[in-house]
Amino acid sequence: MNATLPEPVLRAEGVCKDFRDGRETISVLKGISLTLTPGEAVVLEGPSGSGKTTLLSILGCILTATSGEVFITGQRVGAAKPGRLAALRRDCIGFVFQQFNLFGALTAQENVEYAINLKGASGSRARKEAAKWIDLVGLAERRHFLPQDLSGGQKQRVAIARALAGPSRIILADEPTANLDFHTGRIVLELFRQLAKEHQRALLIVTHDPRVRPITDRTLFLKDGILTDATSEST
Amino acid sequence: MVDVALKILLHDKLRFIITVSGVAFAVTLVLVQVGLFLGLLDNASITIEKCNADLWVTSRNTANVDYGQPFPASYLQRVRSVPGVERADNLIIWFTRLNLPSGATELVITYGLEDFTRWNLPWAASGGNIQDLRRGNFVFFDQSARKRYGQFKAGDYREFLGRRMKIIGETKEVLSFTTTPIAFMDFHVLQSLDPLNLFDRTVYILVKLAPGADAGQVQAEIRRRLPYNDVHSRSTWARLSRNYWLETTGLGLSMFVTVFLGCLVGVVVVAQALYTSTMEHFKEFAMVKAMGGGNPDVYYILVKQAVIAALVGFAIGAALAAAARPAVTGLGLKMIVPGWFFLVVFAGTILMCLAASMVSYRRIAKAEPALVFRG
Repeated sequence: MNATLPEPVLRAEGVCKDFRDGRETISVLKGISLTLTPGEAVVLEGPSGSGKTTLLSILGCILTATSGEVFITGQRVGAAKPGRLAALRRDCIGFVFQQFNLFGALTAQENVEYAINLKGASGSRARKEAAKWIDLVGLAERRHFLPQDLSGGQKQRVAIARALAGPSRIILADEPTANLDFHTGRIVLELFRQLAKEHQRALLIVTHDPRVRPITDRTLFLKDGILTDATSEST
Repeated sequence: MVDVALKILLHDKLRFIITVSGVAFAVTLVLVQVGLFLGLLDNASITIEKCNADLWVTSRNTANVDYGQPFPASYLQRVRSVPGVERADNLIIWFTRLNLPSGATELVITYGLEDFTRWNLPWAASGGNIQDLRRGNFVFFDQSARKRYGQFKAGDYREFLGRRMKIIGETKEVLSFTTTPIAFMDFHVLQSLDPLNLFDRTVYILVKLAPGADAGQVQAEIRRRLPYNDVHSRSTWARLSRNYWLETTGLGLSMFVTVFLGCLVGVVVVAQALYTSTMEHFKEFAMVKAMGGGNPDVYYILVKQAVIAALVGFAIGAALAAAARPAVTGLGLKMIVPGWFFLVVFAGTILMCLAASMVSYRRIAKAEPALVFRG
């Protein structure tokens, strides 16, 4: 039976994160363990200040854990140096943010192409792949528009295309629908979920948005630094 | 590869124009100022450079070509008898007074030589034959004299120290660092104009070496025979003449200050523009890092922006400097910008812009990828 279970692309074991505030040590994450498998979508919920973004940062190789282990596509992150963390982000992880974080001077397609460039591809290959992802998120007509000329939903589609483009097998999304209206948010989420599943990307969405739960496979709940599986509550 | 540097630079066109204007201003300022400076310095030694003489015999410690002191003209015979000297002639360069038709009196630097053509003096003449100066009270004026003396033409008369001299031609671009206009007349006529100072005297002896003669040996022999005179090679004498003006007028320091200020303005404008742009795009640079890019990826963007600003600014600045040339010439000034100096300014512009972007580099190095999570 084990042979049928896909190998996790992301695995965290007993991750703790402490911050120092003067003489005081604040434990934000207390022994977090979780796995993500290809094509799986997981939502991470929790009240403000519960440590969701900190966890996302550690899983995204932006911060390192105080203790515990994180494995990205089987590679142990540990206390890697900044250069190694950057390489892991580049090769394995895509991000989607609440604020989109697009380059204002680049068109929709160029935003995607530049991300592909950073991942090592250039020239017509990168251009073609960027065009493909822009088509897949339904922005073919607006590929040459600057972000300032796109709606919030369209900007988020560009950000999704940018995260999915290239070899990234893990997509981490931080409140991706927070700046979108109800209808747009739903469309964007469904598209996001569908593309991630089709391309076998593991998806972890941090959100307060109740629309996200129905489109994901599992629900995790983080409170006071402790992670619990809340999937049963949502079903 | 998406050209992020250029795209960001051109996205805010007004800032790009300001950046490039700052560079162009600095480039124009440096090229025009140094061009004028080199033009002025050229005037300080142009006679020496253009004249055919290999060696110049001067009175002891003569500071520059315009300020020579008389010594006995008969020394010429001693020089002519030195082995290795093909030809030697006396030359007088002397300040005299000129009475203008208006009644005003002006100074004029007068060159007196028996045979001008043999020494390539003057090197550009028109309107008459320079050989005719030998025939008596005749004079050639340089064209630039019109600015000081008013209009004149061949056939007009002007009074030199009370003697009427007929203008029989013009020279071109024979200039002095002092800006006093230059005139040419026969050696003996000039001697007779100011007998108190010049009777039986000369100010320089020009020496042409025989083919194959050892300049050092000839120079040493002339020094031995004329122990109270100096003997300079052409290049040394030209350098001494230029250095005199550099040192006594503070022109070199003034030029350095101008160039420094020009560069400072350029650096400040470019640094300010690049820094503002960097701060505006700070989160985007953090995003580059979040996507797996490193400091080199971000530095590359900044370096490229600095180089683009330098290239465009230099092109505009050089074009403006070239456009200023006719206006400068119209004012009777000379602007000399040698090719090597263009290259120096070009390299300096690139360095200036890279230095200006250093402030941004330092800021960017601290951009944390975690910044992308903040709203």
